[in-house]
Amino acid sequence: MALSKEDFDKLAVLSRLRFSPEEAEEFRNEMDDIIAFADTINNAVSGGTDDIKNTSVNAVAYTALREDAVRESLPNEKILSNVDGSRGFFNVKRCVK
Amino acid sequence: MKYEMVCGMETHIELATKTKIFCGCTTEFGGAPNTHCCPVCTGQPGSLPILNRRVVEYAVRAGLAVNCKINNNSHMDRKNYVYPDLPKAYQISQFDEPICEHGYIELDSGKRIGITRIHIEEDAGKLVHEQGTTYIDYNRGGVPLIEIVSEPDISTPEEAREYAEKLQLIMRYVGISDCKMQEGSMRCDVNLSLRPVGTTEFGTRTETKNINSLSNIVKAMNREIERQEDILESGGHIVQATMRYDANTDEIYPMRTKENSDDYRYFPDPDILRFTIPQEFVDETKANLPELPSAKLRRYIDDMKLPESTARDIYKYRRVSEFLDDTVKKGANVKNTANLIIGGIYSTLETEEDKERFDIKITPEKMAGLVKLIDDKKINKNKGQETLMKMLESGDDVTKFIKAEDTAGMSDEDLAKICEAAVAANPDAVENVRNGRDKAINVIFGYVMRETRGKADMGKVNKIIRGLIG
Repeated sequence: MALSKEDFDKLAVLSRLRFSPEEAEEFRNEMDDIIAFADTINNAVSGGTDDIKNTSVNAVAYTALREDAVRESLPNEKILSNVDGSRGFFNVKRCVK
Repeated sequence: MKYEMVCGMETHIELATKTKIFCGCTTEFGGAPNTHCCPVCTGQPGSLPILNRRVVEYAVRAGLAVNCKINNNSHMDRKNYVYPDLPKAYQISQFDEPICEHGYIELDSGKRIGITRIHIEEDAGKLVHEQGTTYIDYNRGGVPLIEIVSEPDISTPEEAREYAEKLQLIMRYVGISDCKMQEGSMRCDVNLSLRPVGTTEFGTRTETKNINSLSNIVKAMNREIERQEDILESGGHIVQATMRYDANTDEIYPMRTKENSDDYRYFPDPDILRFTIPQEFVDETKANLPELPSAKLRRYIDDMKLPESTARDIYKYRRVSEFLDDTVKKGANVKNTANLIIGGIYSTLETEEDKERFDIKITPEKMAGLVKLIDDKKINKNKGQETLMKMLESGDDVTKFIKAEDTAGMSDEDLAKICEAAVAANPDAVENVRNGRDKAINVIFGYVMRETRGKADMGKVNKIIRGLIG
């Protein structure tokens, strides 16, 4: 298995996720499959990811990027419509001690 | 044991674009919470970021101004970390293909502080912590930043301050940001470690975050040097950590242990296309860069022959230096203009910020109209200063305050006659001067100034009167 238990546990901490031992094993297997899939793609390109990076295929010239012109933002009620909010703010549990 | 400091800086600068880096929301400062927001900058599923062209242009300009090489190919990466100021749980930044690399800034001593890289990224939202709740405002989320990373070339807190000050001035000159440290549009993080003098290996470093003024850079660094010295002297080890400096108490304390670069799990952002920056565009930008601060200072001192302190007082505010240049272009003498700015205009601008904004009522044309009267000795410097204050008050042209007859040329003969009268009218003063109380001559000068309504050339008056007194 490419992904060690230690790596998995560390990722969980960084992602602020908690798993039961059974869940951890299940997700570790799934992640391993995903990594294996990515490796397959990586190996299919001669030169690996560096080769993909160095091609300018699919690159846009900076001139084709977005113009710096203001567009209307969403109304505050709409922005907060699916969240716990008050006084115009998003509210979460206090995140500093 | 004696220690030496090794320091590098990371400086975040908010770019003065109209819109955010990946959406069309305004970057305007302030505004009610979460009113400059849309699905993109609040990280809603399915929304797609589109890079703002001006952000790339400004980054290129910034890079060229500090002697960087510009990469013709670049892309955005995701930097993953979970914190409520970042709704997507990743920041869109740049990792291995920053727009600019390998630059430097030269200090007054001639020492160069290397610039490793400059990359573009999005700012995070603002958190307000109250009792059991953290309130989040994403208005600032997605505001474009450049992060300027220096080499660990800085050896003293004073060098750090000078580096930051130069960086601030350069970025203001090229017009990409107002770089106000108090308002957070420029924020400095200081990476600092100590090592025994004479060794070459780096010690463990700490990062002091978000220092909000130039003078606090020096203070925070001095505290951190003391703290690390104490630990090392007592045989302890420095723990890699993020520190916060509290300017109110002048104390420094750890915020959190730092995640390693690996922990951010950078990878190319699949939502944003790679982009190219054509060399022609880079060359054109370079050719169109304005005169940079160091060149301007040299020109003031070497070509215009201004005293160094005067030159520095002018060049450190971009708008002031432009005002001086424009006034001189209209035919005014540079020294007289500079003296009037420093002695007159500055007295009406109390704070550094006022001078930086330089919001005054008169144009360079009007200023030149006044200065030329002094240059041609039609009015003296005191009269000039007095008139300047009136002009600054009302914004009127000099002709409103000084009539043509006031400046009509006074012949040397007329002036000599008035001086003779002045000496004759003040025998006591003459006696006093002859007895060595030189200040008494001011009484005679005063008489001449009254008679000539301030238009006499004091240099000439001085000569004539001293000749008469003998």
